[in-house]
Parts: sequence; C-alpha cells; structure tokens
Amino acid sequence: MRKLFNNKSVALVSLVSILVPSMGYTSSELDELRQEVENLRNEVAEANEWRQSNTLIHLAGYADMGYVNSDTPGDDGSFNVGTFSPIFHYQYRDLVMLEAELELKIEDDAGTDIALEYLTVDWFVNDHLVLLAGKFLSPIGQFRQNLHPSWINKLPSAPPGFGHDGAAPVSDLGVQGRGGFHIGKMKATYAIYMGNGPELKAEIEPEAGDSTVIDAIELDGVEAEAFGVDRDGKKVIGGRFSVFPSPELEIGLSLLTGKATVTEFEAGEFTGVEPSLGSEPARNYDVSGVDFSWRNPSMEVRGEYANTEVAEAVSSNSPEAAEWTAYYLQYAYQFLNGKYEVAIRYSDFNSPHASADQEQVALGLNRLFSNNFIGKLALESNDNQNAGRDADDRWLVQLSYGF
Amino acid sequence: MKYTFNKSKLLIILIMMLSGGNIVAGEFPEKGDMVKGAKSWSDNCMRCHNLRDASELRDDQWITTVFHMRVRSGLTGQEARDIITFLQNSN
Repeated sequence: MRKLFNNKSVALVSLVSILVPSMGYTSSELDELRQEVENLRNEVAEANEWRQSNTLIHLAGYADMGYVNSDTPGDDGSFNVGTFSPIFHYQYRDLVMLEAELELKIEDDAGTDIALEYLTVDWFVNDHLVLLAGKFLSPIGQFRQNLHPSWINKLPSAPPGFGHDGAAPVSDLGVQGRGGFHIGKMKATYAIYMGNGPELKAEIEPEAGDSTVIDAIELDGVEAEAFGVDRDGKKVIGGRFSVFPSPELEIGLSLLTGKATVTEFEAGEFTGVEPSLGSEPARNYDVSGVDFSWRNPSMEVRGEYANTEVAEAVSSNSPEAAEWTAYYLQYAYQFLNGKYEVAIRYSDFNSPHASADQEQVALGLNRLFSNNFIGKLALESNDNQNAGRDADDRWLVQLSYGF
Repeated sequence: MKYTFNKSKLLIILIMMLSGGNIVAGEFPEKGDMVKGAKSWSDNCMRCHNLRDASELRDDQWITTVFHMRVRSGLTGQEARDIITFLQNSN
C-alpha cells in the first residue's frame, strides 16, 4: 500500500528540531524548521482524515473528441466533441452510494446540451443484492449499461439500433434490484426492475396533394428513455439474467414487458388539425434480447440482439403493430503488447420505416496510449437497401479518455 | 456531585453503545482475500474494458470505484471486498 505520507520525514525533521540548538542554527532557521514540522503534521492529519472518513467522494467519468467525415455531398468533415460525462460518487461506508452521471455535448448550433444520464441511490442490502432507486441505464442487454462509454467502446460509434433511438431501451426511472451469486462453480448475475416505461411517437402522413388531410398515422418510434412522469400510469417490468459457464464466457437473456401509449404526433408535412391524444389507449410493449461475450487477454468476441414489439390497438389513431430489431457482432484483437487493437463490427437495424433501417460494417484501428486513453480511427460502411440507397459512409477519428 | 457525574457518564456510554455501529465505526469494507481478489479482478474487470492499473487510484478511490463496478457488473459483496483488498495492496 502506498503511504499517503512518509512518517520517516516527520521523525527526521523532529530529530533535527531536537538537535539543532547544539548545532548553531539561527532562530529564523529554527522557525522555518518548526513551520515545516507543523506543515507535515497537518499533512498527516489530512491523510488520516481521508483514510478514516465514513463518507467517500469520488469523481470519475470519460470524455471524447474527434473528427467525422462522410461521403454525403457537401460534407467536408467536422471536428466534434462527442461527450464529456463526469460521474459523481458519494458513498457512506459499505451501506449506500449515490451515483450520478452527466452528459454534456456541444450541439451543431454551438449550444451545449446537458443531460442527466443516470442518478441512483444504491443500497447495498447484502452480498447478493443491491437495491437502486432513481434514473438508471437500462439493464436490458449489455451495450447500453456497460459498453457505451467511449473509452470502453471499441469503435467511435454505437451500433445502429443500440443508440438513443433504437431497438433497445436506453434508460428508465424506477426501482431495480441487482446482484450476483454462484451456482456451484458457475457465476450468475441478475437485474430486475420496474419503471415508468417508454412513450410512443406516431407520424402523421398527409394525403398526396392535400397536406391538411390525414392519409394514415403510423407508429414512428419508441422513446425508451426515463420519463419523469408515467403519463399512462402503466409500469414496465423486466430485467436481465446472465450466466458465466467459464470466466471468459458470458451469456445473457433480457426480457421486458408492459404497456406504452402514443403521447406525441410527429406532424411532418401535415398541416391540418392533429387528432386528440387523450383517447390513445395503452398497448402491449415487449422487449426481448440475448447477448454474449467471450474474451481472453488479447481477443474479444461479443454480440447482442434486441427486439422491441408494440402491439396493435384498434382504438388508436395508429392502430397497426410495429417492430424494431437490431443486432451486432463484434471482434477485437490487441497486438504489439496491447498497444494496438483492431476491431470489426457488423450490425443491422430494422424498423417499421425503411428510411431508418441501417446495415453497417465498421472497421477500426485503435492505439492504446494507456488502458484508459485510446485513439481510434474507423471506417463505417453504411447501407440502407430497404430504402433503395447507400447511406452515408463515414471516416471517424476519436480520442477518448476514461478517468 | 460525584454520583451525578457518574450517572451522566454511564448515560453517555449507554448511548454510545446503542448507536455504536455508526458512531464508533470500524474499517470498511472488511478485508478480503488478496489472492482471490487478483483472480476476480482478472476474471471480471476485463470482461467489458481494459484492465486499469492498480496504481491509478488511491486506496479510498478504489473503494468507490469497485462499489460502482459491483453495481454495474453484478459482483458479489465478497468479490468486491477481495478485489478492493487486491488493488489496495497493489497500488
């Protein structure tokens, strides 16, 4: 254990203080030595304070910045700041911890967007149960809860469908129990939660030739981020269970079920009177997912599948069912003594709207300046064959730092 | 006068005993097993990210960091204590 203070220094200075009268020191030199002893005593007191405190305060987090250039006509590339995400930890002994992560982003119009990524009070009930209350990252799947920080993610971007608008929920507000235990020699983990659940957004399609008349209203998206109020009063319940057949291999299964309601119409080109949202019914909302990861010290393979289904509702303005599906497979390999890393990821995202679908192959070369300071260079090949076009291919450069 | 003083003293001692769990706290978390901690650190921490060097953080910082990771990765309480002991003895 590294000592916060070198006690030998105190002993040495004290010894000098005792001996100096016979060594012919002047009174000003003696004053200086006394002051030095006093300073050292204060340092000892401060060090002991840190060691013995019942409340611990810690600042962690991550940040990234980079450069993106796509083959979209007119895009000549831009420097960008991805996120600055400080994480605050306040812990009282081994009983409770408050965790809060902010997410600060620079917007395209030079403004700054600030979001509370999560804020939970974690009660360490016993060795196998932690109770969380507050806003938490969705425990459905792996990417959102554990892999999205830029210094952890092997590539500069999230796989399509696993970002803020995809097939997997991002966060929720409620209560959660989670922990780990052993079944014989095999490890298992669990997370079970109840939350306010998502809200649905529907898009109004106007009739051709008359933008004031509704042709159809279709479900456009699931806003699966933590809402501060449960507007339909219907909670969702779900979680994830994983097993580790060996220390290198993890297999996870996620399920989430509940109700969701259309709370917003996206008018688009429609200019008429929007229908009332008050009569929108709560409809079945189900998410399922599987994930796996395998790794040894230099190699990692992982994959994840997520499916979100919203059931039909005859009495709704947008009565048809909708489904979002996404998956990715990723391989990463570190070489030259862990200083470099290559990563390749294939991902596919399908939604009710073909224009939002995306198939992507991403290739990356990473330089690990340290284990938490990483430079990334990546090429994304994006396609959207369902919409009959190639999407924007991109070059991305990113520097990420986890602290 | 002396009798009164002793009664007060006894009362204070009694209050301290009843609430002693919080007022007179021992070290936390309890010491774990360093060898098991080294294995748990290797098995669990690199599952998601590159291993962080033990010397990156102070003893107290490793406590909050590992408790944070206990929540994130489903470590048991014993695994967390073992890992903290390993990291505190290795930094």
